[in-house]
Amino acid sequence: MATKKKVLLKVIILGDTGVGKTSLMNQYVNRKFSNQYKATIGADFLTKEVMVDDKIVTMQIWDTAGQERFQSLGVAFYRGADCCVLVFDVSAHSSFKSLDSWRDEFLIQASPRDPENFPFVVLGNKVDLEGDRVVSSKKAQQWCQSKNNMPYFETSAKEGQNVEQAFQTIARNALKQESEVELYNEFPGEIKLTGEGSRNNGGDNCAC
Amino acid sequence: MYWDYAINLNLDEVVYVHCHQKSEGEHGGTIVLVGQDGVQRSPIIFPKGGHLLAFLSCLENGLLPHGQLDPPLWSQRGKGKVFPRLRRKSRLTLSSTETEVPPIEEETIDYVFQIISKKRREDIMASHELWQSPTCRSPRVHLASTSSSSTTSNKSISIDHSPLPLTPPPHILTGNFQTAATAPSGTSLQILCDTMKRQIISRAFYGWLAYCRHLRTVRTHLSGLVHIDMISGEGAEGGMTREVWTGLMKEDGYVEDAGEAFRLAYYGGVEPDLRKEVWPFLLGHHLFHSTREERVQKDLEFKQSYETTMSEWLAVEAIVRQKDKEVMAVNLAKLSNESTSGTDSVPPNLPTLDNNLSNDVFEDNMSSLSDDSDEAPVVDEYEDALDSNPEPLQKGDEQSNTQPDPQHQAPALIETDPVKVSVGKKPPHQDSLSSGTTRSDSPDEGMGDDMEEEDSKPGGSKNGGQTDDENSSHTNDVPSCTEQNSSCPSDTKPPQDQETGSPLIKTCLISITSNQSMDSGHMSSVSDTMSGHEQAGPSQLTVCMEGEENCPGSRSSCISPVSSNGGVYTTELLESFGLNLHRIDKDVLRCDRNYYYFTPDNLDKLRNIMCTYVWEHLDVGYMQGMCDLVAPILVILDEESLTYACFCCLMDRMAANFPTTGGVMDNHFANMRSLIQILDAEMFELMQQNGDYTHFYFCYRWFLLDFKRELVYDDVFRVWESIWAAQQVSSAHFNLFIALALVELYRDIILANTMDFTDIIKFFNEMAERHDAKAVLSLARDLVLQLQTLIDNK
Repeated sequence: MATKKKVLLKVIILGDTGVGKTSLMNQYVNRKFSNQYKATIGADFLTKEVMVDDKIVTMQIWDTAGQERFQSLGVAFYRGADCCVLVFDVSAHSSFKSLDSWRDEFLIQASPRDPENFPFVVLGNKVDLEGDRVVSSKKAQQWCQSKNNMPYFETSAKEGQNVEQAFQTIARNALKQESEVELYNEFPGEIKLTGEGSRNNGGDNCAC
Repeated sequence: MYWDYAINLNLDEVVYVHCHQKSEGEHGGTIVLVGQDGVQRSPIIFPKGGHLLAFLSCLENGLLPHGQLDPPLWSQRGKGKVFPRLRRKSRLTLSSTETEVPPIEEETIDYVFQIISKKRREDIMASHELWQSPTCRSPRVHLASTSSSSTTSNKSISIDHSPLPLTPPPHILTGNFQTAATAPSGTSLQILCDTMKRQIISRAFYGWLAYCRHLRTVRTHLSGLVHIDMISGEGAEGGMTREVWTGLMKEDGYVEDAGEAFRLAYYGGVEPDLRKEVWPFLLGHHLFHSTREERVQKDLEFKQSYETTMSEWLAVEAIVRQKDKEVMAVNLAKLSNESTSGTDSVPPNLPTLDNNLSNDVFEDNMSSLSDDSDEAPVVDEYEDALDSNPEPLQKGDEQSNTQPDPQHQAPALIETDPVKVSVGKKPPHQDSLSSGTTRSDSPDEGMGDDMEEEDSKPGGSKNGGQTDDENSSHTNDVPSCTEQNSSCPSDTKPPQDQETGSPLIKTCLISITSNQSMDSGHMSSVSDTMSGHEQAGPSQLTVCMEGEENCPGSRSSCISPVSSNGGVYTTELLESFGLNLHRIDKDVLRCDRNYYYFTPDNLDKLRNIMCTYVWEHLDVGYMQGMCDLVAPILVILDEESLTYACFCCLMDRMAANFPTTGGVMDNHFANMRSLIQILDAEMFELMQQNGDYTHFYFCYRWFLLDFKRELVYDDVFRVWESIWAAQQVSSAHFNLFIALALVELYRDIILANTMDFTDIIKFFNEMAERHDAKAVLSLARDLVLQLQTLIDNK
């Protein structure tokens, strides 16, 4: 099914301001790091073709503004997401604390069909600042485990460490999600007008 | 709403309708549509209870008058349509003129209906093509089984919709055709012509009516967007040159013809060198009808109040920084606890970790220190910490949480450094601030320098690295310094090493440089005034000079700014300002660092302005994007308090765009939508096709920042002054027209690629800073003119 047409995976990156969302996205897609990024306003996305289990898929990675106040914008961007990446800064405890609210916010705004099993991936970024680290790997892992065992990666957008691996997982999980959605949306072969549908049928009469 | 569930079928292609009814199935029946090519469409399963029949009868009605079901359904009195095979006698349907009911086998409850197009049958008499034309609107049956083409017909609302009711119902027409088969052709032609005439006239009428309605919509909804009077741009292409400007200005600096100034700025822009002078006028900070003296006076007053405000928040900042430090220490302690599980070793380690940290922060561009002051986690972090390392932190953290007043913290804390941070820093502030008010030459420059020195933001990074150093120096333990050096051998910044290596010298340096930045002639008077209104003044200075030795004095000095500013700060205030500070730090650091102007010094100015604004508007707080709005003004004016004043003027208009302060952004989107609808129907149709309002989110950044991120700096200046001037010349919403111009400039590309939501976002994000600002502005002005003409044309 997935091979039938071009698969587009929509991935949303969320996290506090300045944790490195834009940098991660650019490191992954363009394999470069710049310290010239400005604070993201509105939203932007990059696309990248990746191989996931012998399938070529297109990842559409959405980068968003980090200030929570801008999240009301989110609805438009979150819709139809296949995976959500939560990013925090290992040298900033508050950004780790915010993960909960980012996750909740996403689930509310995107309202995926199966919120319990919606794929999230957590990235603890800026591990290159090892000396500044205040969120231990253990603590982050514990949190991820408590949240339906989200995959956790420690990344450095600056040095590219672990970024590729993290996004591979993101792509794979997103594809899984996408396939499930596909299952539901598969051309059904028959159109049932039973139950609720009978109302529609009544509507038909009117329309004619 | 039901249209969401609509299924589109082109019945032109469908030839057979197969009906299957299972006598004891759970469904009421199934319909399979079969096309000319013999391909079956997906079966439609109906629930029980006559739905299938209702569908068929509906289909039959819909097929009329150009087609019919063969065999037709039978009508039954009281029951409506029934299947042809039903036992009871029934009337023929009205539609079927010739009924040929093929014998259907009694046993089956399955049917096959053929859809017959009448046209085929009438081909024989279709020798004259005339009657093709009136029916050409729906040449053959274009019946979608459940949906209408509602989306496409929206385009020109009434032109497409309205004529329909007036048009004689189609069946009359076809009735004519059918009679035409038998009647003499002359009569039929006559009837035909009459019908056509009626149709043409009614269509014309409705078209005109639609136009009128359209105009009324424009007038009521969009007239507010532009001024009614059209001010010509004749002779204004040259813009505002110095020559013109001095010409406009009367002897004492009074500008009589403000309108002309606005007009010139709108059509031709302001000469780059002149911007510094003219912008305060355009932004409304300076009044055109004020004299030069009045303006100087106003600026002076403004500067004073600006500095007062600054001293207020600087005092709070010191406390916030100190709390950050504690939080950081606790977090680090906890972390090291987690990793080493050696509880006893924590307290002695603290300073080391702290310093270690500061060095790394210093080295790196990403400011991380600021993150950690989110106060919410602090409490439980402390609690956590309490479990692990009981005594040294206990007192201190309890008090720092409940009582932000540093005076109380000071004696309790074992690591005495935080208190002394404010000691080291605050007195110079007080100095420079009060001196700033007395100096008249160029105190602003001095101010900026002072701040830079004192703000614990050494050049290159403003992340509080220096504060740590001060701490280390104050903590009076040389060992810690050496520890620090040894713990960070990789530190490559020479100044840092130097400073940390000799803390005492360094603290002296601070006070000396800050003093130097002041006008030395005022030095004595400053300290006089200081001692006059603040007892701690002189002692503070000595504290600075002597560094660690003066603990008692430092404590008292720490209270003084607080108490002199009207008492103790609430925890809420500290938390909220702290949070804002960190956000500001993050964004200031990231603001246009590739633009030549934003050296560390100038970034400090930007930060001061931002903090002052946020301090004054703490209810709103800092919002991302504000830095972008300050930056261009600062680049032009290059002076803190004046920039601040102008920024405030700008924010009067822009603040509402930011989230949670008003739904103005949605208004922009709605206006964009209307404007596109009016001025570019084709584009509007494309956007309609692709969905809803979310399409205008590609304009979000445009409106939030007045295109600051879309254009290069020189163009931003030009566009901004156009927007400001336009308020007086053509439209208070000129930003809308610039946005529209941006869309229109690329309309061919957008249309040719039928770009959807994401395409458009991508397209414009990639086009950022590549637009031809001149073309955009000129098109925007034209668009204003277009709308003005449309409204004017009553």
